[in-house]
Amino acid sequence: MRRIRAAVTTAVLTATLATGCGLGSDGSSGSSDSAASAAATGEVKGKVSLQTWALKPKFTAYVQGVIDGFEQKYPGVEVDWLDQPGDGYSDKVLSQAAAGTLPDVVNLPPDFALPLAKQGLLLDVAKADPKLGEEYVTGGLDAYRFAGLGGTFGYPWYLNTDVNYWNSELLAKYGLDPKKLPTTLDELIAQARTFKEKAGGSAYLMSRKPGLGDLVDAGVKVMAEDGRSFTFNTPEAAAVLDKYRAAFKEGLLPNDVLTDTYAGNSKLFTAGTAAWTTAGANFITTVATDNPTLAPKIVSSPSMGTPPLYVQGVSVPKNTKNPAAAVALARWVTSPENQAAFSRLTSIFPSTKASANDPLFSKSDGSNAGDAKVVAFTSLAKAKMLQPVQVDDAMSTIVKQQFTLAISGDTSSKQALDTAVERCNQLLKG
Amino acid sequence: MRRSRGSNTPRSRSFNTPSPAETALRYLLLLFVLLLVVGPFLWQLSTSLKGPTEDVWSATPHFLPDHPTVDNYLKVADTIPVWTYAANSLVVAGIAIFGNVVGCTLAGYALAKLRFRGVRLVFGLLLATLVLPGEATVVSQYVTVRSLGLADTLTGVALPGALSMLNVLLMRTAFAAVPPELEQAALVDGANVRQRLWHIGLPNVRGMLSVIVIFTFIGAWDDFLWPLIVLNDPQKYTLTVGLQYLNGTFSANPRLIAAGTMIAFLPIVVVFAVCQRFFFKGVEEGAVKG
Amino acid sequence: MTHRRWFTPWLLAGPALIWLAVFNLWPAANTVILSFTNAKPLGGGRFTGLDNYQRAFSDDQLADALLNSVIYLLICLPLLTVLPLLLALLVQRRLPGITFFRTAFYTPVVASAVVVALIWGWALNDRGLINGVLRQTGLADSPVPFLTDRWLLLLSAIALTTWKGLGYYMVIYLSALANVGRELHEAAAVDGAGALRRFLHVTLPGVRPTMVLVSVLISVSSLRVFSELYVLSNGTGGPGGRDMSVVMLIQMYSRGFTGHLGYASALSLLLFLITLGPMLLLTRLNRKAA
Repeated sequence: MRRIRAAVTTAVLTATLATGCGLGSDGSSGSSDSAASAAATGEVKGKVSLQTWALKPKFTAYVQGVIDGFEQKYPGVEVDWLDQPGDGYSDKVLSQAAAGTLPDVVNLPPDFALPLAKQGLLLDVAKADPKLGEEYVTGGLDAYRFAGLGGTFGYPWYLNTDVNYWNSELLAKYGLDPKKLPTTLDELIAQARTFKEKAGGSAYLMSRKPGLGDLVDAGVKVMAEDGRSFTFNTPEAAAVLDKYRAAFKEGLLPNDVLTDTYAGNSKLFTAGTAAWTTAGANFITTVATDNPTLAPKIVSSPSMGTPPLYVQGVSVPKNTKNPAAAVALARWVTSPENQAAFSRLTSIFPSTKASANDPLFSKSDGSNAGDAKVVAFTSLAKAKMLQPVQVDDAMSTIVKQQFTLAISGDTSSKQALDTAVERCNQLLKG
Repeated sequence: MRRSRGSNTPRSRSFNTPSPAETALRYLLLLFVLLLVVGPFLWQLSTSLKGPTEDVWSATPHFLPDHPTVDNYLKVADTIPVWTYAANSLVVAGIAIFGNVVGCTLAGYALAKLRFRGVRLVFGLLLATLVLPGEATVVSQYVTVRSLGLADTLTGVALPGALSMLNVLLMRTAFAAVPPELEQAALVDGANVRQRLWHIGLPNVRGMLSVIVIFTFIGAWDDFLWPLIVLNDPQKYTLTVGLQYLNGTFSANPRLIAAGTMIAFLPIVVVFAVCQRFFFKGVEEGAVKG
Repeated sequence: MTHRRWFTPWLLAGPALIWLAVFNLWPAANTVILSFTNAKPLGGGRFTGLDNYQRAFSDDQLADALLNSVIYLLICLPLLTVLPLLLALLVQRRLPGITFFRTAFYTPVVASAVVVALIWGWALNDRGLINGVLRQTGLADSPVPFLTDRWLLLLSAIALTTWKGLGYYMVIYLSALANVGRELHEAAAVDGAGALRRFLHVTLPGVRPTMVLVSVLISVSSLRVFSELYVLSNGTGGPGGRDMSVVMLIQMYSRGFTGHLGYASALSLLLFLITLGPMLLLTRLNRKAA
């Protein structure tokens, strides 16, 4: 038995072993404290690497500027910048983690940070940096604090949320008033009915299927407090799915909602076949390049129910060779000045308290894109992370599969929810 | 080998010349398949040539761009170092091709033409690799490459694919098809293994070799996930990985993506079109062997 | 004796054997061990005995996936064994421009999955090209749910596999046809054999070993189909995930930080055992034919 276990450990994670120090221990081991204290007291110099995600080439100049500033502030420090493409980032980070080659400062969304933190691979930055709570907004920090693990495992970087976007031309054409936009699911379905009668299938108002976030709005608790089991198979959740199922049967949603191929909701919107979509604050700018004639006709409104909170952050691996410079760089990248400059370039929002009163975010320049940015900024105050960080790729696939099954009418909503919860719980435990 | 020259006799001419009706039917069929097979690519090509004012979303798009433009291609080249990436892809493909041509020829010959203890076991293992579960092994492959000190190198990218077991099997099949009498005769003349491989084996398997070259080139050129995992330094990215930068910058302009995919795709078509004479000749070479 | 020194074959096969061990057998052995654990990509795992296998036998999704694989196999095997052979016969004749057609028919093989996915997604969705044509010709009044109905999605993926496979297997057949002596054909023609009889009595026996090889390749790849179904269902496997293939399940469980490597490995091994079946059967047939 012991032999088998030894074989397992060797075989599986040659990776884990090969990397030696700092790996394999769980929670707060001694090395964390030493890395943290080294970070707090050590001198900032030498080589330090920074890994970002899909910022090249659009933000090359900005990131390079941030790095130059850091190197000027701390002479003798040299930053090696790696930017990874959008696709395959989780595989990339995973193999880096397995081989012990994570860069010193690495951009990790919270759901990437959780498994790494669980393995004791990430530095508890609150230990290195006791004033964290004064500088960053709570929502951002909370995203990097995980149930069952003590500590904060990343500096929040930028935030975003979803806003509703409407195609005012389509609304007017098919009998709806762009000034009376729906604010609840029931209103939405009622308007979709009017829309469908006039449009007759050439365009749709609704074109997305519900996700876990929509259940939260209906008062469903997706997960138990301790993060150890899923609980979203409630009658309220079934009621939400039933509404969508009825709407789908009535023909209020296109067939495409049953698959995500090609025609994601926002793509249908961009193509002018769907009159409503939800997307981040920079959506209108994106549409302006993809479908220039549509962009000026878009109006925005706050999302129905609780707006979702999306957080990006940077973490420092525990086995970094240069903790002092790594922590200094992570702090520099997420500093109020640098974040404010970043959010001037695109529609994202800083996670620092200092930026909260910046008129840039609270005043529109009068364009519809500017309006959307203000709508998003005001939504941020009540935004919450709707999808638990514990939901991994396999679980969200299962949720999608079961929700589609329910909406297509092939199984009852209750049955679909039960199956989804059962399978997700099994994954969570396994 | 000389017998095939006989195909110039009058007898074979009558066999070789199809009737006009048959020729017409053949072309009709060829054109039909052509439409099925390349139509979709031309569509993509046309999208990549469309200007920003043209609707690329409609269900019944114009096939020909109203305002054809190469702007999308220039924009792609502006955004990312296409030439560096293409050169990297070429290096990876080159290493993989070299490894496969040499390694698979040697092994294929040994398996097909030499009798030795263990040959069945080796053959069985090779067959098994076709179905061996390789889905959950990316991480362990990476650890292997890293422990060889080849992480973040183009050699590391090329290495696992530099000697494919499928290709060994294909070469074995090709060598096995070489008539045994030829080998026997050479053996009687006292030719050693090297001589037999060089003078009898190789000339008869050039067809399969060119097949392997093309397949390896394509495999190396199109692979995405593996180079992404091995490489860290963006300067070393291969083309398929580098092109992802077009997709990853918050927006997705279908014209740019179409142009990007065409940039990745056209070299393959060009390489193939240039090599195809050799390729199909190689494929057909058996015809002059008799 | 085919060689003088006992180690000559091992020398020739050496590089291939090293690759076999390092990049095929070692990861596979790893998979076997993992399948008895609850390992995650990060941080070891515990020995859990047959838990993973028990779980697999009560997994509805696996049952669906196996059914899909069998259907895939039953349809793809005849289609892809026969159609590429016919295509190869069509392009074998040296007509003017034939090299162009050969090259063109090969393009789907060289295109990367991303390009193909994009194009087919466009063509098959509710407002896509094919539904557009169906509606305009009055063959269907409401869109045909090619991508959202369980069985139609499976058939669409099979069509895509066939489309991509045509050129690939055509080339393999071409090289085999080249080895079927032209003299035999000519002799048969002189004897007054019609085209059909020549095909049945000369061509077919000549390419039989290749047909066996091709059908092994097709069976294995049908049972292990991944990208077509993945891409057409955008990774979700259709409503309820009923169009998942076994490899999609393995991918779903093994990828990502919290990947269930143990369960994925068990599925990999089951798949390995299943694919072994047709392989053994076909190699036996092969031996009998020879």
